[in-house]
Amino acid sequence: MWNYIVRRTLYNIPVFLAIIFVVMAALRVNDPVSAQLGKNASQEQVDLLTQEYGLDDPFVVQYWDFLKGLATIWNYDARSWDQGLPVSEMIAKAIPPSMAVTIPTLAMTALISICVGLVSAANRGRGLDRSLMFVAVIGMSISVLVYIIIGQYFGAFRPSQNIDGWPFQVTVDASAGESAFFFFSPANWISYCMLPVMINVVVALGYDTRFYRAVMVEESQRDYIRTARAKGASRARVMFIHMLKNAMIPIITRIMISLPFIITGSILVEVYFGIPGMGRTLINAINAKDFPVIQTFTALFTALFIASNILTDVLYALVDPRVRLQ
Amino acid sequence: MRASKLVGTVASAMTAAALMVAPAAAGGAAETARAADKVVQLPIRTDGPKSLDPVEGSTTYDNMACVQFYETLLTNKYASPMEMEPLLLAEMPVSEDGGKTWRFRLKEGVRFHDNQCFPGGKGRVVTPDDVFYSLKRIGDDEYKLENWWLLSGTILGFDEYVEAQNTADEFDYDAPVPGFRTLSSTEFEIELTKPVYRFLYILGMFQTSVVPREAVEFYGEDFSRNPVGTGPFILDTWVPKQSLTADANPNYHEVFYPARDEWSREDRRARLHRAAGKQVPFVDRIEFTMFAEDQPLWLEFNKGNLGYTEVPEDYFTEAFDRSSRELKEEYLRQDIRAHANQLLDFTFRGFNMEDELLGGYTEEKRALRRAISYAIDLDEINETFYNGRRFVYDGPIPPGLDGHPEGGRAEAAARGRNIAKAREMLVAAGYPDGEGLPPIRFYTAQNTINNAVSEMVKRQLEEVNIKFEPIFLDFSTLIETVNKKKSPMFGFAWSSDYPDGENNLALFYGPNESPGSNHYNYKNPEYDALYEQILTMPPSSERTAIYEKMRDMVLHDCVYVGGMARERFYLIQPWLLNCKPTERYYGWFKYLDVDDSKR
Repeated sequence: MWNYIVRRTLYNIPVFLAIIFVVMAALRVNDPVSAQLGKNASQEQVDLLTQEYGLDDPFVVQYWDFLKGLATIWNYDARSWDQGLPVSEMIAKAIPPSMAVTIPTLAMTALISICVGLVSAANRGRGLDRSLMFVAVIGMSISVLVYIIIGQYFGAFRPSQNIDGWPFQVTVDASAGESAFFFFSPANWISYCMLPVMINVVVALGYDTRFYRAVMVEESQRDYIRTARAKGASRARVMFIHMLKNAMIPIITRIMISLPFIITGSILVEVYFGIPGMGRTLINAINAKDFPVIQTFTALFTALFIASNILTDVLYALVDPRVRLQ
Repeated sequence: MRASKLVGTVASAMTAAALMVAPAAAGGAAETARAADKVVQLPIRTDGPKSLDPVEGSTTYDNMACVQFYETLLTNKYASPMEMEPLLLAEMPVSEDGGKTWRFRLKEGVRFHDNQCFPGGKGRVVTPDDVFYSLKRIGDDEYKLENWWLLSGTILGFDEYVEAQNTADEFDYDAPVPGFRTLSSTEFEIELTKPVYRFLYILGMFQTSVVPREAVEFYGEDFSRNPVGTGPFILDTWVPKQSLTADANPNYHEVFYPARDEWSREDRRARLHRAAGKQVPFVDRIEFTMFAEDQPLWLEFNKGNLGYTEVPEDYFTEAFDRSSRELKEEYLRQDIRAHANQLLDFTFRGFNMEDELLGGYTEEKRALRRAISYAIDLDEINETFYNGRRFVYDGPIPPGLDGHPEGGRAEAAARGRNIAKAREMLVAAGYPDGEGLPPIRFYTAQNTINNAVSEMVKRQLEEVNIKFEPIFLDFSTLIETVNKKKSPMFGFAWSSDYPDGENNLALFYGPNESPGSNHYNYKNPEYDALYEQILTMPPSSERTAIYEKMRDMVLHDCVYVGGMARERFYLIQPWLLNCKPTERYYGWFKYLDVDDSKR
């Protein structure tokens, strides 16, 4: 297995380098210096900042410098152009708030949608199945922004006008301070993260439920299910023991694909609810053309995606003895 | 059924859990707040400051944050923000040679914040050297020269000093500048290259705030996150793009709330004079939250969690009656107060005077630009998109300043809508009925309002057969395109840095061409000579006459279509006292007070 992991990691290095190359090249289509200096810049200032940012170097030199910085990750000293902060510090502070939302979201979405998918598959073609899928399609069709705006209004603002001590807050206020782990206290999590989690779950449920239903329907038509039923296994046992176990490969794939997003967060939810997470950090960096942050974020996301792909393959082998890692 | 039960159970469990932990949640939030008697919570719309170092600041939000910690020699008056008054000075500076040399006297005993950068952690007294050091930093290219335009060419020998230091191995802050002279521990002189009237306004701009050298050297690269000034507040936490909190400075120097007779009758009716003569600040702590989106800002204000708010464009009719612009009953019932500010604003659609099609100074080129201007109906745009809340006016000088035309109308302007004139001008330009005229490419920032407004302009111009091609870009790309003189026509706005029409007239001064503030690349030697003349003139009827002449030159050449000035509306909670929001300066937060019994 370790051989396989090392080999797959090595195979993916060119992919990693290529993605960073493409993103860095795409970023440089526009000039970030104008964005930084605004409407009053003199040519002297433009030249000065271009030089300071190293943008006057050939692209290959800039690319190499960035990779060198990444290679010495323990001493990564890139600073944000927009905020002047070390990028590593910004990312380290942004990951915990994102995780306070994304981990519960992923867990709850997977749990609920797998259950609903199972129930729907077990009742395939009946009223319940059709109703659940109708709701899922409606859920998928509505923009996430609508959920956020309505959720914030009816989930946090409106009830707080009528119910004393209503716990959900519209947005994170200044009391959160600088602690990256502010959201990990149960009281704060409920105040500031629970509603965003619920909104995220509702948004994701439509897609996931339909996916898991399709997986379960396919599994429910296999011979072993018929055999299990013939042997007198209860419906619950067939569904939760036999079917679920055999459907683990697509389930793992689905969950593992979502893993990098645990770190990267959700842009809209974080912006609207004022959660200082990775999504918000990224969108701020994009708006400010803050290349060091965007590039570091890209490298991190790519690495996570590659790692989760490799991990997925390893998990296949663990849950299904028929799979061999070669 | 089982599935729906499961979903229902999960939802119920979540709600129950939420309600059960509600008291704990409230308690948790309370615990995180510092024990303080009076705390005021305020919003910063958008994502807030990018730096807390004044020399690196340029935006409104940098200004709003920096002035809580740093102070300038002069400042605007809270009761009448168009006027200046001393802040770190004991009195207004005096000049005995017509404004070339200014003598300053610092207020006695003003101390910097207590901070570990000082021996024993005790803030020391401000001296003239601190003033000179702070001004020198503006010229240090380590700080990107972002604000060098404020002082460039102004102080005797300063440009030469800056050039020499920026080409040397190290910027020597101890090297002398001929225009800086220390007279005593509190007195100093600054000699200018020539009398530059705006110099006093510049000494009130936050970028010229006084900073201690010890702090800059102690914190190095992190100085922008560790402000050490003389201001009314001391930074507690700053989470960029998220929040900023500060505690009252216990050693703040003597600054008193404006006297009763400084307030207008209307302000006195709003009880703004009630704290007259008292030492500020009144609150123990100030907490800013940044809002990149309007909905959370609006809901937080409506929950009573923010002391005041700007009324976002989309929420105007929720708070005010559309036609009467009166505050709605539901807000009046809560004793919420409304306040409106006319901004020193100039929004326009500019022409690139170097563009092959639209630029140039011949009669034909001028006629083409005037045809476009005559065909555009700014009043229709104002009514349709801004509920008529913008003020349409001729000339680049906003309302309230010398040089602004009476009633907003100037004869030299090609004010639309005048279809007959537009057609006449098209003939004069050599494009009768628009024949042979290529499409006009118009570059503007991408947003919902701009998209819709551009559609309206397109329709208006179509009536005289002028084809209009709007190109929508993100703001930084727009700036880049305009800076590189690639846009024939572009949409921008300008907010005055100080209340003097000279600031807006500088937008057409030849040497300021792109990437400077003259994005029109307008070059008129007569205009430039007049501009250089007004720089040295104090306010007078003679100066106003020159302003008007310059305004009419720009209007005659039709360098832009416009302009408009915005009016900003604010709502203020009944528990926030002494609040008269102004955007002329942001040093007024120290005057705020709270009445917690009204929360």
